[in-house]
Amino acid sequence: MDSKRQAGSLLLLLLMSNLLLCKNVASEPICPNRSGCQVSLRELFDRAIILSHYIHSLSSEIFQEFDAQYSQGPGFFTQAISMCHTASISTPAGKEQAQQIQQKDFVILVIHLLGSWTKPLSHLITEARRLPKAPDALIAKATEIQEQNQRLLEGLKKIGKLVDPEIIDNGNYAVWLGLPSLQSNDLQSLLFAYHNLFRCLRRDTHKVDNYLKFLKCQIAYDGSC
Amino acid sequence: MKENVTSTMVFILLLFLNIRLLNGESPPGKPIISKCRSPEKETFTCWWKPGTNGGLPTNYTLTYYKEGENIIYECPDYNTSGPNSCYFNKKYTNLWTIYVIRVNATNNMGSNASDPRFVDVAYIVEPNPPQNISLEVKQPEDRKPYLWIKWFPPALVDITSGWLILQYEVRLKPENAAEWEVHFAGQQTHFKILSLYPGQKYFVQARCKPDHGFWSKWSPVTSIEIPSDINMSDTTMWIFVAILSAVICLVMVWAVALKSYSMMTCIFPPVPGPKIKGFDSHLLERGKTEELLGAFGCQDFPPTSDSEDLLVEFLEVDDSEDQQLMPAFSKEYPGQPVKSRRLDLDNDSGHGSCDSPSFLSEKCEGPWANPPTFHTPEVIKKLENLEANITCTWDPQTKSTKDKILYFHANGFRSSTWPLPQPTQHNPRSPYHSIAEVCKLAEDPRAALATVLHKASKDALKSSKTTETGEEKKAVEQMEVESFTSKTGQDTAWMLPQENASFISAKPLDYVEIHKVNKDGALSLTPKQKESIDQTEKPRTLEIIKEYAKVARVMENNILVLMPDPRAQNIALFEESAKAAPLSFQQNQAEKDMACFPTTPSNFRLQQDR
Repeated sequence: MDSKRQAGSLLLLLLMSNLLLCKNVASEPICPNRSGCQVSLRELFDRAIILSHYIHSLSSEIFQEFDAQYSQGPGFFTQAISMCHTASISTPAGKEQAQQIQQKDFVILVIHLLGSWTKPLSHLITEARRLPKAPDALIAKATEIQEQNQRLLEGLKKIGKLVDPEIIDNGNYAVWLGLPSLQSNDLQSLLFAYHNLFRCLRRDTHKVDNYLKFLKCQIAYDGSC
Repeated sequence: MKENVTSTMVFILLLFLNIRLLNGESPPGKPIISKCRSPEKETFTCWWKPGTNGGLPTNYTLTYYKEGENIIYECPDYNTSGPNSCYFNKKYTNLWTIYVIRVNATNNMGSNASDPRFVDVAYIVEPNPPQNISLEVKQPEDRKPYLWIKWFPPALVDITSGWLILQYEVRLKPENAAEWEVHFAGQQTHFKILSLYPGQKYFVQARCKPDHGFWSKWSPVTSIEIPSDINMSDTTMWIFVAILSAVICLVMVWAVALKSYSMMTCIFPPVPGPKIKGFDSHLLERGKTEELLGAFGCQDFPPTSDSEDLLVEFLEVDDSEDQQLMPAFSKEYPGQPVKSRRLDLDNDSGHGSCDSPSFLSEKCEGPWANPPTFHTPEVIKKLENLEANITCTWDPQTKSTKDKILYFHANGFRSSTWPLPQPTQHNPRSPYHSIAEVCKLAEDPRAALATVLHKASKDALKSSKTTETGEEKKAVEQMEVESFTSKTGQDTAWMLPQENASFISAKPLDYVEIHKVNKDGALSLTPKQKESIDQTEKPRTLEIIKEYAKVARVMENNILVLMPDPRAQNIALFEESAKAAPLSFQQNQAEKDMACFPTTPSNFRLQQDR
């Protein structure tokens, strides 16, 4: 009887350990069956990277032009720094951190980051007319950014479907509450609000560009570009 | 006492300070953070420049705080990046976070802090230059040799992960050149240079840049010597080019030689000399001015509507008194045509030969084509009626008949002939009618003739038609009348109702010239033969000239019947006509031409415009 109990417990242990061991920690390869999947993934990433690179270039330009045109002295806008509305989305701040995130989570992360800017951009375009000194070029660039952002979002959703067919975009975007600040009557607070908005836009578009370039190597080229 | 103590104490302190100051010691100057850079987007370093140290050993510390945090940190590493630097390793580096960094300088005398610097690591990326640049001259077979440049990314950058993407640039120059030749290489780590000078030494450098960041410094110079014996040029190609160009040149030279003349005329067209139409300069040399001037005849000068105005002149003839003709006449010529609207008494009216007897020749057919309108409404009406009836067009046949129409020619005075071209009221009308009738005649002679007959001007016309044979006018007219009614379908000139049918067919209407006005006021008319400038025909005309100066009777249709003057004045006539021929047509139309005018003043009146 003791030997039987020992055997039974051993079996149980074995089973348990097997179950534990069999639980696959390593990520499954993307595009297991379809042969054209890998190629189309690379193409999708290439297109997405072109868009994200372009969007970040525009955002950088807007930021620098706004800074040059509306600054009222050296260090004027240092006081304007305040938290971005997308701070609630936790993003990796370095390469090591980025390497520890699951690829599909990463894709969802990027989608959330992009989607959080749809509303602020549209409000920015309509409210920017209140700015002094004829901000037409600025509005034009913001409009362009919004357009390209939409295209990038669609492309990312396609990539997401390829990476993980069960990916769900639950629309959990960061909420932006900065509209009243864009309509402020005080010139300084108005300028501060816009400056902060442009700073956050530049940062987030840089993040998206960086992450996509990183993800391309990780997903489409298996970690080595 | 106390005051003394305090004052002395202060005095001593001041002395102390002064002694110290005299030594040159002071608090440190303000340091400045000069640069913060990240070589691979994973770590970063900040460098500062110290201010004056105040003569004392000064301690520098770097402090920072991050965006959204209240904790102040101190620099983790002062050594790795050299003096006056602070190195932040991967653990301490957070991208997309603003670092507010300050440097404090402290010495015994005091401290001084720099201005805060706001750093976001993501935007300060500047990599190291590419390393291990290798140069090689490669000479593949059947191809041009080239310089192959290869390099490696900087040591710290991780390319494979895709966290940082680099783009490269290469530049080279021959040893003695002043300018660098720069090439953008994209993301590849090699480059091919094709344009090389053999035997030269080349210097090569490379640098790189992240996708959103700053260019690195240029790498150290690498040099290579291009061997002199390499074959840079593709000789076979040049030989082919030389042969082809030689062939093309030969072909072009040959083509030019063939067409040299036409090309010369194309490039340098011959300049035409001045030339006057109809002017023969050789005649001028020979001195034959008459022929010269004859060339200025009215070749292109048929009097058209303008000249019609000039030519038209009306002579008003009252039928009741022949003698009134004279006063009318005489009044006409004193010098200024009173009513002459279109009378041009000037010899040089410019009508040219259109007024001359030769007017009837082909060259002056213009006036025939468009008969002018006259101020006599009846005439015009009749004209219009006639026009309506006319359906045939002018053809050579009719034209020839025109020639036969007689002119009334006033001779001896500055009289003008009938303005043939435009039939003035009646007379001019006659020719017009004659033409129309002739035209009609071609189609339906009898009908045409019948219609014509009933017009008032017909009489004048008939009267104007004189026979060439010179028979008595009266007889002619009588016959005309008879012939019109009785003749059947004969192609007779309506003018010539003579028994002489041949005459009729052969001789259409002739004009009667006003030869002269007799002293007793009678017009002497002569049938005008077809005028030709040729003087040789004068004798012929002489025979035929008959002077119709006597009115025989008046017929029922208000026709004046004239008869030839028995007084033979042929010779005189001839002379005068010979003289007058060239002159007559040149002018004035005061028609004194009276032969056969209907007596009804309304119909047929030679009216002289004044």
